[in-house]
Amino acid sequence: MATTEPEPVAERDLTMSRAMVEAVATEMRENDEVFVMGEDVADYGGIFDSTQGLLDEFGRDRVMDVPISETAFIGAAVGSAQAGMRPIAELMFVDFFGVCMDQIYNQMAKNAYMSGGAVNVPMVLTTAVGGTYSDAGQHSQTLYGTFAHLPGMKVVVPSTAYDAKGLMHSAIRDDDPVVYMFHKRLMGLGWMPAPPGPKTPVPEEAYEIPFGEADVKREGDDATVVTLGLHVHRALEAAAELADDGVEAEVIDLRTLVPLDTETVVESVRKTGRLVVVDEDYRSFGVTGEIVARAAEGALSDLEAVERLAIPDVPIPYARPLEEEVNPATEDIAAAVRRTQG
Amino acid sequence: MSEEPGLVAVDSAAVWPDDAADVDEGVVANWFVREGARVADGQTVCEIQIEKVSVDVPAPAPGELVERLVPENGTFRRGDPLARVRPD
Amino acid sequence: MFSDMVTARYYEERLQEEYLEGKQPAFDISAGPIPGELHLAAGHEAAAAGVCQHLRDDDTVTAPHRPHHVAIAKGVDLDRMTAEIFGRRTGLCKGKGGHMHLFDPDVNFACSGIIAQGCPPAVGAAMAAKKRGTDGVAVAYLGEGAIDQGGFLESLNLASVHDLPVVFVVEDNDWAISMPKERVTDVKNGAQRADGFDMPGVRVDYNDAVAVYEAAAEAVGRARAGNGPTLLEVQVHRHMGHFMGDAEAYRPDDEVERLKRLDPIDRLADRLRAEGVDEERLGELRAAAERRVEDAIAFAKEQPEPDPEEAYDDVFADPPEPAAKPGTAAADGGGDE
Repeated sequence: MATTEPEPVAERDLTMSRAMVEAVATEMRENDEVFVMGEDVADYGGIFDSTQGLLDEFGRDRVMDVPISETAFIGAAVGSAQAGMRPIAELMFVDFFGVCMDQIYNQMAKNAYMSGGAVNVPMVLTTAVGGTYSDAGQHSQTLYGTFAHLPGMKVVVPSTAYDAKGLMHSAIRDDDPVVYMFHKRLMGLGWMPAPPGPKTPVPEEAYEIPFGEADVKREGDDATVVTLGLHVHRALEAAAELADDGVEAEVIDLRTLVPLDTETVVESVRKTGRLVVVDEDYRSFGVTGEIVARAAEGALSDLEAVERLAIPDVPIPYARPLEEEVNPATEDIAAAVRRTQG
Repeated sequence: MSEEPGLVAVDSAAVWPDDAADVDEGVVANWFVREGARVADGQTVCEIQIEKVSVDVPAPAPGELVERLVPENGTFRRGDPLARVRPD
Repeated sequence: MFSDMVTARYYEERLQEEYLEGKQPAFDISAGPIPGELHLAAGHEAAAAGVCQHLRDDDTVTAPHRPHHVAIAKGVDLDRMTAEIFGRRTGLCKGKGGHMHLFDPDVNFACSGIIAQGCPPAVGAAMAAKKRGTDGVAVAYLGEGAIDQGGFLESLNLASVHDLPVVFVVEDNDWAISMPKERVTDVKNGAQRADGFDMPGVRVDYNDAVAVYEAAAEAVGRARAGNGPTLLEVQVHRHMGHFMGDAEAYRPDDEVERLKRLDPIDRLADRLRAEGVDEERLGELRAAAERRVEDAIAFAKEQPEPDPEEAYDDVFADPPEPAAKPGTAAADGGGDE
């Protein structure tokens, strides 16, 4: 065999957690200013495997376990970012933002603007979101709308391993604060099996996915389903069922909420005339209302039917029948799409 | 096809964790390599879960992963081969 | 005290068995009869029993995410608590709260899944007692991992400056999930936190119920007499993982075995024997505790699951609208979607 033939290229699929970690590790190798801090990010490797293996390669100085003092360590990430470093701070569950929100929304998110652009805050705040495993009201929220509502933070919600890696590269390289919200059920944890879909082929090399570009995960002419996170996969499953009945749903994965890709949504609505928005956050004053408003602003005359599915303005309950009732299921999505076909 | 000579098994017993020594069954939590795909020596081909412990399983040799013997979320017994690799 | 401790221990052992049902050979958090996460407190019993012995039903206790032993010592209804943990309609919280969020107003017990966030409400209960002129006290439980959290430190100050009848009980099990204490705080003795707030700080160095009982007598007595708050730290041991899916790869292999030799229940049993309690009596107490736990688990498993429609109840004590499923035309005030 000729020695000039290239080595066979390994082909692999990755879970979302491994794809995230691969991006973080690559950035850490290339840039000494990148470091990770959070609770249980070192020896444990992140409760949801978001930092698995980083301690072994980078040591405790760059992969720091910190006290359960979110105000202090997230604020410290803000300060070190303003000093020019590129910290990645992990808020273990997004639900814990309550103990440290000032550092997030009054400091991290506003310092660029309030300094008139004199400073910027190039940090990533990673955080686990979502329910489906009976962790009840203080550990199951997504709070997508809360973070997207408050100006000054870019907000990223990956739904596949491929997207997770590219969005993480973009997040670390971005000069602004990025809230990177990963859904626990999509991470590919052995103890919390993921649905089919989030595990995808992932290139070995680094690549960026630009913010503000939604991804059409499935094309269709009959209805537009706009969603994000876990519900991308529920929507795709619903779309497959609907296709059996001759209804072709287009599934748009927003991928980033800030910036929001209005154009892709509006274009799709112009084509289908029917909009279904699916969200795992609370219904009122959130993602569903925002998407419907953007569609109305951009394609009012094309809109023939609108449906939205979200958590119906109740805290997430613990018992399985209760949680299943409030979290939009595949069948709920299929039914909503059917209602738009009248 | 598993009769083909020269195939190398991905051995589940070789990676069995010490703290699960008293357990005889596991589950394949994730496959990372599809059938027919190439693997590098030592590349993680799958992740197995034994009770609470998760373990990465390396390829025994560089080559082609010709067959997965346990499906994702499927159960296997300790010592069962998980896949077969046709070495280069 | 012994009964509370053996009840709590047997309870956690039995819940572990029930919880792991359906989670073999691989642990899947969504499988089995008990939903969600489970944080068990085997090895923590002395801190609960030793303090709660001094409390009445009208005294308030707040507990963190690892609450069962404290709830048992406080006298929470075991049947309804167990039904809640199994996610049943007749549980303490109708299946809405679950194991980290148990509320029993009959004995003024509550817990929260957010680190240190039970401290401010305990201060509030103490404030209410003081304003009303009762001699009620409040006890806030937290783990040693929580002593670096603002909610705790702010509560110490508020309680101190108003001389409120609160006892803060830090259960020091040396581990904040995977983080050993020395990696996240520079004080070995968490009771030293009291020094900055002008209140007594006491540490019980051994996982010993009698020592806890004695220290708590003084702390609760001080609060009840109107002399203000105390910070009490108790050494306990975590015999199990942080939560039941925790593989504990970060933990030295022999640590749990070593700690089990310091079991607070064995220690108290030895003390009782030395005081003349015979083996038969100890056996009776254990048997009674086991029966009580088995009855509670049997009760829980017989209870119905909640009806899905109940998910919409209880958001408000005084609902602003006639109850209607949000998202329906009625809830949206009509409409023609």
